[in-house]
Amino acid sequence: MPRIDAHVHVFTKVSPEFPREVSPNWPAEREEPAEKLLGEMDKHQIDQAVLVQIGGTSIEHHSYLLHCLKSYPDRFLGIGLVPPDHPNPAEHMVELADGTGIIGFRLFDLGGPRDIFATTDAREFKTYPIWECAAEKDYVLWLYPRSIDAHLLPYLVQAFPQVRVVLNHLGMTPGKGKFTLDEFGRPQIQVSGYNLNMHTTYRLARFENVTVHLSGQYAFSREAYPYQNLAGWHGNLLNDFGIKRLMWATDFPWILEEPGYGELTTIIEKLLPNLSESELADIMGGNAKRFLRFPNRNS
Amino acid sequence: MIRPTPEQKTQWEQEGYLVFENAIQGDDLKRLQSAFDFWAAECKEEWLDRVEAGEAAATFYDIPNPLEKDPIFIDIIDYPSYYGALMEFTDDDLILLGPQVRTVAPWPVSYTGWHPDVGKNNPLHIKVQIYVNDVAKGSGEFGFVPGSHKPDTGPYKRPLLQESMPGHKTFPGKAGTAIMFNSCGWHTSMDNASDTPRKSIILIYEKRTPGRIGPEQFAAISEHCTTPERRKLFSLAD
Repeated sequence: MPRIDAHVHVFTKVSPEFPREVSPNWPAEREEPAEKLLGEMDKHQIDQAVLVQIGGTSIEHHSYLLHCLKSYPDRFLGIGLVPPDHPNPAEHMVELADGTGIIGFRLFDLGGPRDIFATTDAREFKTYPIWECAAEKDYVLWLYPRSIDAHLLPYLVQAFPQVRVVLNHLGMTPGKGKFTLDEFGRPQIQVSGYNLNMHTTYRLARFENVTVHLSGQYAFSREAYPYQNLAGWHGNLLNDFGIKRLMWATDFPWILEEPGYGELTTIIEKLLPNLSESELADIMGGNAKRFLRFPNRNS
Repeated sequence: MIRPTPEQKTQWEQEGYLVFENAIQGDDLKRLQSAFDFWAAECKEEWLDRVEAGEAAATFYDIPNPLEKDPIFIDIIDYPSYYGALMEFTDDDLILLGPQVRTVAPWPVSYTGWHPDVGKNNPLHIKVQIYVNDVAKGSGEFGFVPGSHKPDTGPYKRPLLQESMPGHKTFPGKAGTAIMFNSCGWHTSMDNASDTPRKSIILIYEKRTPGRIGPEQFAAISEHCTTPERRKLFSLAD
């Protein structure tokens, strides 16, 4: 069974060939190219990975992602972004995904009312056309919603049972103003000790088209690797979603310096120590291969 | 104080729950509904801000510090219709841990799955859920697995669908209904497929153990606790 890292980012220096937006975490001169990722993957027997776009939502901003997917078609699948105010998101999605290796799109904002008591019709949500397009074209939706949007998800998931959904980073939903960078340049998300997502995203377990990443532990834990204080969350996700709907990921490159790529390849067995060999293999890649339809790797 | 009947005591021991229909009625119920609605409206924006900040769940909200907001929320803690049963089951040594004055939004999925609150070795832990509005079947009514509080039952596993829990019973009821249950038993809120929020109050009690609640916990309402019995219930100094 292949071992698949289900959520990583790669980018290169800003150039005419590969334009992108910049941020404190990915300034113009920084590069974390696919070849560096492949080096880590090969060193730790990881076969394939999902490259998730950062650095802008326009077609041009996806140039480096598309280049990587074309260069290594048996190693990577891609997740793109949609401009928030695009007049025709379906057009953008189809253009990006047509034969390129991009299999889906990442959303942060779902575009519905902030008040659950005012939530009635998913068709009024701003992202409804994106879900419609995903349903029609069989794209995956990659979700990292804000906490104020968490209540909108079941309306969309219920409306589109054929859309494959991946909840990013333990199904967490970051709060406004709770995002910082630590001394290693890694995202840090301040969360409450009681996992509020037990009452929102974890409740999506009943929908068979919803899966969850076991990733991003460094961002939510105040402890050092292996982030034992998050073992309970992993246990809850395993209990609710079951062994076939969890996918391991590293969130490369943010973890390269601390705790290191290699350490993260063993985090699942540390936080879920009672898994059988075949269950571990499912989480480490089998589920991603099946759910995301990874091609076989050319040896 | 109304002590439970022998039949109620047997049901409590065997099944782990009791239902008190019309536990609160008349003017007291109106007072409770009025205070609930007023403070729920007052606190809603602050709750939404906390949801946005990732500090509160988006699917339900509790009125903060309700005991300090209206005396009716204190009066229901030792309300005669169920207080006698609470005292009986805790050998007259009962403490309040806290109230949850809760509004649950209609949502495609229940905001919580089946669960026990405490392990079976915990001191007796009792909750009383009081419906503030009518709660029909399919609108977030309380669900419980009778007998699941007993030491020789289980293990249980949380099912994906609320209605798939083996052996469960649901409790639709009129406003003013109080449902008392042993909270080491498996329970939940059923899905609310209606268009009506479920308004209820969950009172949390425990058989007293030393140091469980300090006198500072409810000091803000000390002036409302003038009898020795009530001061003991709220763990206040004599």
